[in-house]
Amino acid sequence: MIITRRLLHRAARAVAAVPLLGLAVFAQFVPMPAVAADTLNVYSIWPENWARPMFEEFEKATGIKINFVRFSSGEALARVIAEKNNPRVDVLFGGPVETFAAGINEGLFEPYKPPSFASLPTRFRHPDGQWIAIADDPLVFMSNDKFIKENGLKAPASWNDLLAPAYKNMLQMADARTSGTAVTRIFSVLEVNGRDENKAFDYMKKLRPNVQLYTKSGGGGTLPVGLGQAGAGIFFIVDALDTKAKGYEVTISFPQEGIGTAAEGIALIKGAKNPVLGKKLIDWATSPAMQGLFAKYKINFVPAHPDVALEPSLAAVLKGAKIFPIDADYAGANRKRIVDRWVAEVLNP
Amino acid sequence: MSATVRWKAATMGMRNDPAVAAAVFVLWALLALFVVYPLAMLLVRVLTDQGGFTTAGLAAVLSDRHQIRAFGNSLLLALLVGSAGTALGFLFAFTAARGQLPRWLLTAIDVAVLLPLVSPPFTTAIAMIFSFGPRGLITYDLLGLKGVTVYGLASTFFSEVLTFFPIAYLTLRPLLAAIDSNVEGMAFSLGASRWRVFRTVTLPLTIPGLANAFLLLFAASLADFATPLILAGNQFPVLPTQAYLQITGLFDLRGGAALSFALLLPALAVFLLQRYWVSRRYYVTITGKGAGQTPFDSISPGMRAVLLAACALVALVVVYFYVLLLYASLVVALGANHAFTLQHYRTIFTDGLKAIRDTLIIAGLATPLGGLYGIMLGYLVTKKSFAGRRTMELVSMINYALPGTIVGIAYLIAFNDPPLELTGTALIIIACYIFRYGPTGIRATVALLQQIDNSLEEASQGLGAGSGATFRRVTLPLIMPAFFAGLGVVFIRSMTAISATIFLVSISWTLITVKILENITELSLGPAAAFSVLVVVIVFVVIAIIGRVLRLFRAPGAVPMTSLLGG
Repeated sequence: MIITRRLLHRAARAVAAVPLLGLAVFAQFVPMPAVAADTLNVYSIWPENWARPMFEEFEKATGIKINFVRFSSGEALARVIAEKNNPRVDVLFGGPVETFAAGINEGLFEPYKPPSFASLPTRFRHPDGQWIAIADDPLVFMSNDKFIKENGLKAPASWNDLLAPAYKNMLQMADARTSGTAVTRIFSVLEVNGRDENKAFDYMKKLRPNVQLYTKSGGGGTLPVGLGQAGAGIFFIVDALDTKAKGYEVTISFPQEGIGTAAEGIALIKGAKNPVLGKKLIDWATSPAMQGLFAKYKINFVPAHPDVALEPSLAAVLKGAKIFPIDADYAGANRKRIVDRWVAEVLNP
Repeated sequence: MSATVRWKAATMGMRNDPAVAAAVFVLWALLALFVVYPLAMLLVRVLTDQGGFTTAGLAAVLSDRHQIRAFGNSLLLALLVGSAGTALGFLFAFTAARGQLPRWLLTAIDVAVLLPLVSPPFTTAIAMIFSFGPRGLITYDLLGLKGVTVYGLASTFFSEVLTFFPIAYLTLRPLLAAIDSNVEGMAFSLGASRWRVFRTVTLPLTIPGLANAFLLLFAASLADFATPLILAGNQFPVLPTQAYLQITGLFDLRGGAALSFALLLPALAVFLLQRYWVSRRYYVTITGKGAGQTPFDSISPGMRAVLLAACALVALVVVYFYVLLLYASLVVALGANHAFTLQHYRTIFTDGLKAIRDTLIIAGLATPLGGLYGIMLGYLVTKKSFAGRRTMELVSMINYALPGTIVGIAYLIAFNDPPLELTGTALIIIACYIFRYGPTGIRATVALLQQIDNSLEEASQGLGAGSGATFRRVTLPLIMPAFFAGLGVVFIRSMTAISATIFLVSISWTLITVKILENITELSLGPAAAFSVLVVVIVFVVIAIIGRVLRLFRAPGAVPMTSLLGG
């Protein structure tokens, strides 16, 4: 009994040590938001393989180090909302302007107008500077070469081409609940139908049987199309060109009626711990200093700043394509209603 | 000394023992902080709007017919996976326990069965996408089928069964092994056929185990979010995925939390059934008075061949999936460029190094703490009596029984603001692991201590050993397996979990599993596969070491270990 009790004592002491150990761990691993005065915290919506080289270049140019973690646009925004009372990051980087519009409704951002503000076209900036565009990203059709050949088709050159019976259950595109790509696509359909909602929804309902899967992320369908698991899909040009660069045999084409493009944004988080450094990143990212580097790192975004020339091979892909911007006011005002209608009538009829 | 007197003495000693009181107090404080408080905060978030009480958010989500359909789908999938997974687990367990297989074959079966259990999520799902579908390796290249759809109930079901049946195997195998084969042998020598022995002796003795395995699989499937995220498609939405999409897609934290609460009901029902009904119905076949076991040849050679063939087929599918994964990690781009490369491994050990380091540090801290927490709490609630003992045991199981999405969101909401500002730290992830996966250690400890018949301790004392020696040489070695089981589970889950932690990773601390998900969404399949292979290798090595250590403590005929996984 005595020894049992001694053991118990020992055990109890061990338990009592747990919180102490916890404290020790805590002390060691709590990241002090401003460990060094020259460190910036960022949520990046751009994939790591694009964000990392940009941030390394930024550090080279300014000496400011960036800690970042990558989330999809939805995850990043949900995270910033959850952390609203005590923000963890200073800047939200990349991701379709869509996401930023949703963030404005939640009051997440601190308006800031960088030096480039005045030189940007109005569609590349929020009037108050809640967000600023750093790039433009048109939608494209992407089809699997083998599938096209086997079915005696041509790469789709019209929205109506996608209605062909050969595509039955063979298209993949993004889900409007989770993806800015999908929202841009739906507004493209509205635009080519003269904003006649019933006509646009008729088209989307007719397209539904051909859709094998609405993917969670905008690029989710590119690999299946590359592999031939799906025949074709509608994606942002960055994702499509990336698929091609990996060696998959796919063709990029544009509908003759035209297709939409979405700007990619950057914004300062309200209550950021390092607002001065955050503004420096925004200054840099919205200027030719960063956007001139896209070509060097094979990032196929169209630069938003008018002074940066389009990279020749990207220009060749885009040549002759009819691309129109999505009207931010119209999209912002109708987004929720349209997405709800899409979910009710197209996704779950 | 009679048992009653001893019990009283122990109780008295405890009551006056400040050290035990302190331990109880600390455990309660930890449970309140890391289990009760986050859940309460989540509830507050769901039920209030701008300071006022409302059920509007909850009602809106719960009356949506698509969410109701998703709820039905979740239950259907869980039922199917529970049944099929239990059957498959039984097939393997029965073959392993009764087939009189050579040692190497048993090891091979163990490895094939454990692979799905120790690998990160998504692995079978990705392999499914490659193998089936309009141009899948199996459906198109092998069978020449066209127009096959890979998304939906069938593939989600198939993938989940393959991922979760090891839980059933692990639950059933020790049970079958523990059934005294003398009982079967007697029935046989009394003239019953082998089939009749199986039907009237073996199977009835296994029924509690089957029920338990079914419930565990049911719960695991109910909470699974990774597989349906990739495979369920649009025709077959399930609730955990819907909750995730509600939060990340529609930025609706309240709606997502409300959906998670809808999962709470079946999850709790299953947990209570398992805890208070099934676990009472185990037939104890281990006592101090063990008799020598005469091997009974319970299956005919023909049946043995059939069983082995069936197991081999399933094992082959598992191995095929993992070979595909390994292959994907070693070629430039699967499906496009099959040139050999080590590039993906170079990538994960450069860009991914931080995630690997973070994961190992977090797992390294969570594992011993979780193991300690498990035997501490298990020992206190079983052998000591104090006020609120049963309540403590129940509260400790809450995070384990809840789907990971709920736990993750609750932690995110609860620990974002001062003074309990833990988001962004490693501590929040470590705490999540300890309180979510530590309960396996608690269950194992409780089960072990309950199985220690007082006669064993009495015998030891009767033979002249002091109570100290008895504790050291009888009780302690019997708890050690529970400690190591707890360690093993916390480690496996620290390396592979995603549903809760996807909400808890941060700038400073990230995890391999989150990287894998990110790589998949970025279509960097190579690095995703390489990360998965790395996780499997690390987990296998660590589990092998723990198993080696465990063998040192394992008494002959040690008590069956409860399941290794809590969803």
